[in-house]
Amino acid sequence: MLRRTEGIVLKTFPLGEADLIVSFLTPDHGLISAFAKSPRKTKSRFGSSLEPFTYSNISFWGKEDSKLPRLTQADIIEPFQELREDIATFTAASEAALFTLRLLAEGEANKKAFYLLRGVLRMMLRPSDRSFVIVLYKIRLLDIAGYSPSLKGCARCGKTGYGFYTPDGSIICDSCIGGAATRGLRGATPHHIRLSPGCVKLYESLRTWDMEKVFRIKPSLGMMKELQSLLGAHVEYLHPEKR
Amino acid sequence: MALGIIENLIQRLTSLPGIGRKTAQRLAFYILAMPDGEAKSIAEAINDVKDKARFCSVCFNITESDTCSICSDMERDRKKICVVEEPSNILVIERTGFKGIYHVLLGALSPIDRITPEKLKIEELLSRIRTDSAEEVIIATNPNTKGEMTAQYLKEALAPLGITVSRIAYGLPMGSDIEFADEVTLKKSFEGRRNI
Ligand SMILES: [Zn+2]
Ligand SMILES: [Zn+2]
Repeated sequence: MLRRTEGIVLKTFPLGEADLIVSFLTPDHGLISAFAKSPRKTKSRFGSSLEPFTYSNISFWGKEDSKLPRLTQADIIEPFQELREDIATFTAASEAALFTLRLLAEGEANKKAFYLLRGVLRMMLRPSDRSFVIVLYKIRLLDIAGYSPSLKGCARCGKTGYGFYTPDGSIICDSCIGGAATRGLRGATPHHIRLSPGCVKLYESLRTWDMEKVFRIKPSLGMMKELQSLLGAHVEYLHPEKR
Repeated sequence: MALGIIENLIQRLTSLPGIGRKTAQRLAFYILAMPDGEAKSIAEAINDVKDKARFCSVCFNITESDTCSICSDMERDRKKICVVEEPSNILVIERTGFKGIYHVLLGALSPIDRITPEKLKIEELLSRIRTDSAEEVIIATNPNTKGEMTAQYLKEALAPLGITVSRIAYGLPMGSDIEFADEVTLKKSFEGRRNI
């Protein structure tokens, strides 16, 4: 069956002499990996359309449940060439791609995730604070994927608290944390992170504010560090990075 | 033995890139019919490569001695160092008649694959240039994003050494038609235009 959709290249993996496996984020099929025949040859009809972050109309061929459909066409909609022109921008865009691959499951349609990524890549084309854009992207994608950390209050008793406990993905207050620390653990090391009230409030604003207005927020360096360590620990516990 | 010896050979051959089941079958039966000596010399060649091949201590080309045949050839122009991603790239560039020497990075920068500058043979390149007589570095990494990022990084890393740094030109592939070029390739070939 031939399927058509839009896709943004997240990652490519060389296969054999001149072939490529390409991971796309698409609105209609979520993450997909497709096999592209010979794009690395100089006369390939794929041209530059399989370079990282290129946004194209793509067609791929394969059975509905095919693990590796074959890419038949990729026509560039937005090349996002500027994201590949300097190392700092490229590294930031790569971080967004890596986070996407880590969080989303293959083959599950997710339009919101797709438009979020596209929006964030466009933001990176403009002069903007890259680390802020990345943090914003992570918070929004976690939300869309249903993995937002719960910061509203203690997961056990509902009281206000500012200690975030990774195995629960939630705030746990000081009186409840005593028992929690002895719970059965999986994979990654659990963390109990102390958050400032300002950080909790900022997280919620970044998660819920309008994308137009959200850039009015100018968090301090310390606040950014706090957000980054919360996100890092939360995601490392949810999806330990494969190495 | 679960697999017959022929089946075993077929299976081994399919692990090679670009060789499917059918081709492997054809190759296996061809090998079976070959004269003894000829078939065994293929096996020996594979053994030799695996036993003796290593990286040149100067340029990281594949060699069987400490320094590769290019690095030890005194006729080569040591003022020009051509930087490539993989040893196999050298074979291709040799066919152009390039007479300088090489440096193989053993990869290209790729943050998504966690390939950072320290994982490539960049430090080795810099210390080589500091101590020998090179005057120009020609960056011949691939004309794709990873190769381009690597070239940019090298340009900055080489700047303090006061040496000429050049990048191979981008452009439309020979024999192609402008109609079929995508905008990025075409833009790059405009940027890389030259006077004629
Ligand atoms: Zn509690
Ligand atoms: Zn050498």
